[in-house]
Amino acid sequence: MDFFTVRNLTMRFGGLVAVNDFDITLEPGEIVGLIGPNGAGKTTVFNMIAGYYVPTAGTIHFRGKQLNGRKANEITKSGIARTFQNIRLFTELTVAENVMIAYHCRIRSSFFGAAFRLPLYRREEKAMYEGSLAFLEEVGLQDLAREQAGSLPYGKQRRLEIARALATGPELLLLDEPAAGMNPNETQDLLKLILALREKYKLTVFLIEHDMKFVMQLCERIKVLDYGTTIAEGTPEEIQQNERVIEAYLGEG
Amino acid sequence: MALDENRRRNQIFSIVAVACLFLFLWSMHLFADDYQIRILNNIGLFIILAVSYNLINGVTGQFSLEPNAFIAIGAYTSALLTLTPAEKEMAFIIEPIIWPLSVISVPFVVSLVAAGIVTAFFGFLMGFPVFRVRGDYLAIVTLGFGEVVRVIANNTQTITNGPLGLKGLASYTNIWWTWGLAIFTVFFISRLVRSSFGMAMKAVKYDEAAAEAVGINAFWHKMLAFTTSAFFEGIGGGLLAHLITTISPTLFTFFLTFNLLIMIVAGGLGSITGSVIAAVIITWGGEALRIVEEPMDLGFVEIPGIPGMRMVLFSFILILVMIFARQGLMGTREFSWNGLQNRLLAWKGRYLKAG
Repeated sequence: MDFFTVRNLTMRFGGLVAVNDFDITLEPGEIVGLIGPNGAGKTTVFNMIAGYYVPTAGTIHFRGKQLNGRKANEITKSGIARTFQNIRLFTELTVAENVMIAYHCRIRSSFFGAAFRLPLYRREEKAMYEGSLAFLEEVGLQDLAREQAGSLPYGKQRRLEIARALATGPELLLLDEPAAGMNPNETQDLLKLILALREKYKLTVFLIEHDMKFVMQLCERIKVLDYGTTIAEGTPEEIQQNERVIEAYLGEG
Repeated sequence: MALDENRRRNQIFSIVAVACLFLFLWSMHLFADDYQIRILNNIGLFIILAVSYNLINGVTGQFSLEPNAFIAIGAYTSALLTLTPAEKEMAFIIEPIIWPLSVISVPFVVSLVAAGIVTAFFGFLMGFPVFRVRGDYLAIVTLGFGEVVRVIANNTQTITNGPLGLKGLASYTNIWWTWGLAIFTVFFISRLVRSSFGMAMKAVKYDEAAAEAVGINAFWHKMLAFTTSAFFEGIGGGLLAHLITTISPTLFTFFLTFNLLIMIVAGGLGSITGSVIAAVIITWGGEALRIVEEPMDLGFVEIPGIPGMRMVLFSFILILVMIFARQGLMGTREFSWNGLQNRLLAWKGRYLKAG
C-alpha cells in the first residue's frame, strides 16, 4: 500500500488549466519540494490535496483511502495538515489557543460535557493545554503562550502556524512557502526545525518554496511545475542542472 | 481558555455575586411598584434574548436576522401548551383549534422546556438551507425566514388563531423566572464560549478556511451555535408570551430582531458581558428616557411633550456609541474576576504608591 499517491491531478478554472496531469508518490519520512515560477500552479496542487478545491480530474490516495472530493476538515482528520502561503492564524486568539484549537476535532467530550465542564472535558482541556504548550516549546514560542497571535512578528507567526498544524497530529505535512519573508538566519533555524520535527514526529513533508538555497538544502527530491505542467523531477543536484528548469526560471538563453 | 489558577476563588466570587443579585431582586419584589417590576422583567428577558442571539451573530460571526422567528415559535409553543382546553375553545372563534392542541394543557415550566426544544428543532432544520450561504446572503435568507414565520402565524387559523392571536394567557412570568433563566443562559453560553466548542466557533468567525485546516467542521459548528441560540430564544419567547399575556403575529416583526441587534452591536459582537450590559442599559434607558417626552419648563422656554422624542435621543446616543466605541462597549472582551483583580492591582499601583 502506497503512503501517498497522486495520479493525473488536473484543475481547470474555466478555460485556464491551472494544473495538468500532476503525479506524485511520497514515501514515509521523505521531504519533497515543489518549486516553479509564480503562477505555476503549486498552491493549487496543495489546495486540491487539502480539500479546498475539488480537482477537475485525477485521484489522491492517502494510506489506501481516496481523498479527492472529501472536505478539508476530514482530510485534516485523516492525517494531512497544512500551512498557508499568506499566514492564516486566528489573530485575535492567544498563541496557546491557536494550538489548542487543533485538538478540538479529536475530543471525546460532547457539547454538553464541555459546556457543563464535566470531569472528562476537564481532563481533556488540561491535556489540550499541556499538549499545546509542548508544541509551542517545540517551535520555541513557549514564553509567548498568552500573547495575542496577531501581535507576534512575522517569523514567529510562521512558526506558530507550523505548531498549529503539528497539533492536528499529521503524518503528512504540507508547508506552503514556510520561509517566505524570513531573513537568512531565520531560514536556517527553520531548516533545522523542520528536520528535527520530521525525526521526532515521523513526518513526511511536502513543501512549496521559492528560496532555492533552502529547498536544495532541505529536500531529498524536488518537482518542478511550470504553467501547470511538471517539467522536471529529481534530486536537488539534477534539478540544478536541468535545462528546462533553468529555462523556465530565467527564460531562453 | 488557559487554565485558571484562581478557579475556586472565582467560583466563590460568582456565587456571591449571584446571591447579591437575588438579594437585590428580593428587595425589589418586596418594595418596588408594578412598573419597576415590569422593567426588571423586561431586562431579564432581553438578557436571555441578546446573549443567545450573540452566540450566532457575535461569537460564531454568522450575521443572521431571525430571532423574531425563533421568539415567535417559542411564544406560540409555550402559549398553546399552557392555555386550558376551555380557554382555547373560547379563543378560537373563527375555526376551532386542531387536535391534539385542543386537549393539551401542561404546567408553565414544561411549556418553557417544550418551547426551547421545538424552537431548537426548527432552528436545526432551518440551518441546513441557511448555512449554504454566507455573509449578506445569510442575512437576507434569515430575514426572509423571520417574515415567513410571521406570515405563517397569521394564516394558520387552526393552530395560532391567525391575526386574532392568543389572549388571556396566565401571567406566570415573574422576576424569578426571567432572572433565573437569564442567569442560566449567561452561565451556559459563557461556559460554552470558553470551552473548546466556543473556541472552534470563534475560529469559524475569524477564518473559516483556517478552521477547516485544523479539522473543525465549520458547518456543524455553525449549526450548533444556531440551534443553541434557537433553544434560548424559544425559552425567551415562552417567557415573553406569559409576561405580556397576549400574543399575535404583529408582535414578532423585524422590529424585535432590530432591537436585539442594537443590543449586541452596542454591547460588542462576541462579548457576552457586552450583551448583558447593553440589554440592561437599553431596556432600562428606553424607559428612563420617557421624561424627555413630557412637557418641560426650562424657565426661558417651554417645551410641549413630543411623543417619539426619546427615540430621537436614543438614536443619537447610539450614534455616539458607534463613533466612540466602534467595537461596541466591550469589543470582544469579557468580564472576569482575574481581569477585575488585575485592574484593581494596576489602579492600586498607580494611585496608592505611598501606601
